[in-house]
Amino acid sequence: MLSTRVIACLDVHDGRTVKGINFVDLQDAGDPAEQAKLYSKVGADEICFLDISATNEKRKAMLDVISKTAESCFVPLTVGGGVNDISDFRNLLNCGADKVSVNSSAVYNPDLIKQASDKFGNQCVVLAIDAIDNKNMLSGYEVTTHGGKNKTDIDVLSWAQKGVENGAGEILLTSMSADGTKKGYNLELTKLVSDNVSVPVIASGGAGNPQDMVDVVLHAGASAVLAASIFHFGIFSIPSVKKEMEKNGIQIRDCEK
Amino acid sequence: MKLIIIDYGSGNLKSVENAFKNSILENNLNFSVEVTSELKSIKNSDLLVLPGVGSFPDCKEGLQKIQGLIDVLFDEVIIKNKLFLGICVGMQLMAEYSLEKVNTDGFGWFKGNIEKINNNGTDYLGRNYKIPHMGWNNLEISEERHPILKNITEKEQFYFVHSYYFKIKEKNRVYANTNYNHKIPAVIAKDNYVGVQFHPEKSSFSGQKLISNWLMWKP
Repeated sequence: MLSTRVIACLDVHDGRTVKGINFVDLQDAGDPAEQAKLYSKVGADEICFLDISATNEKRKAMLDVISKTAESCFVPLTVGGGVNDISDFRNLLNCGADKVSVNSSAVYNPDLIKQASDKFGNQCVVLAIDAIDNKNMLSGYEVTTHGGKNKTDIDVLSWAQKGVENGAGEILLTSMSADGTKKGYNLELTKLVSDNVSVPVIASGGAGNPQDMVDVVLHAGASAVLAASIFHFGIFSIPSVKKEMEKNGIQIRDCEK
Repeated sequence: MKLIIIDYGSGNLKSVENAFKNSILENNLNFSVEVTSELKSIKNSDLLVLPGVGSFPDCKEGLQKIQGLIDVLFDEVIIKNKLFLGICVGMQLMAEYSLEKVNTDGFGWFKGNIEKINNNGTDYLGRNYKIPHMGWNNLEISEERHPILKNITEKEQFYFVHSYYFKIKEKNRVYANTNYNHKIPAVIAKDNYVGVQFHPEKSSFSGQKLISNWLMWKP
């Protein structure tokens, strides 16, 4: 039976992890490659790097991070942040990324998803959507860019559907209003998108405890759950999340079996 | 021993190379790994890996662009019996034909064709079946255990990502199935060639085990 995936996300700035717990067994807690390796060892089903570097110059550091991570981390690796064109896709994939997520650039360059999926296949194109509540939108949610700073006047659901039509193989859906609150995922938003697109939806933003992850799978149909801070700060471990999911009847990958 | 990962412009070659190198290192094997499309290197090799991500017709086109490659593959694998592993679309290319996008011929090394996964209905939690079939799934291992599945249990999981599957006619060549709404052949093999629908290079410890088994397989 297909497992519901638990994805660990790391924010990377200038080639270093931004948040990060001091894992005792890590020599360098700021090294994304070391952290990714540890996460995959304890059962993360995928690793997601989000590059939050401000300049293109500093983004080059990301390529080294990916190369190093891919040498010893044998679970799927998704990389996003600052992906502007098809050459960014190629560079990331050549370093060992398996999937590339696009967010703002898909809004400003609507052909990017189509170009990338035609070239590299839809399995490696992830459409990341940062959604905010907006009652004036048909679905009740609006797409934002640049980490929620810029509004776009684009409806989240129609944007998700268009992305899938253009070849996105997966949707990484973040509720910006829930993000960072640790009060749980936005179930309504996740269900709305998950019920109305044919590709898997990754729920993101707001995870505060393992029960939140159970809820978004059971009540909103998420194919995968993503979290950053609860894992980094050691509030909950990946095995504890998986244990709770399993207890609630959700198939997970038990990497000890 | 010389292992070649065939480069025909298809996707995640770096991941494949890394995973095979790691397995070689961990097993203290004396293998060299080269990622190339040079026919000369392919002819001089001992083992061949054909990766494949993207669509069937795109992969086929990529192979055809390298003059003589498909003929050389036939010679090396079918005539000279070199060890061969096809991954994902690399496995599917061994079918007679595919119905993905347009009708495209495969190598015809196994009888059957490539069809879209049936996504009608809902899963055990009432969720719609999503396409692609993406994520970690178990194997149902056949009674006659293939050497590349040595020490692998049905509790272990492998990473899949695909929208089409091999509707194979030679059922006795299926050594493991997975299940996603319906049975999907996950490991097929005949003589010296094997195909896997999942990505062993992305399947953590279990994938490493399978790669090691394949490297040390003596058909």
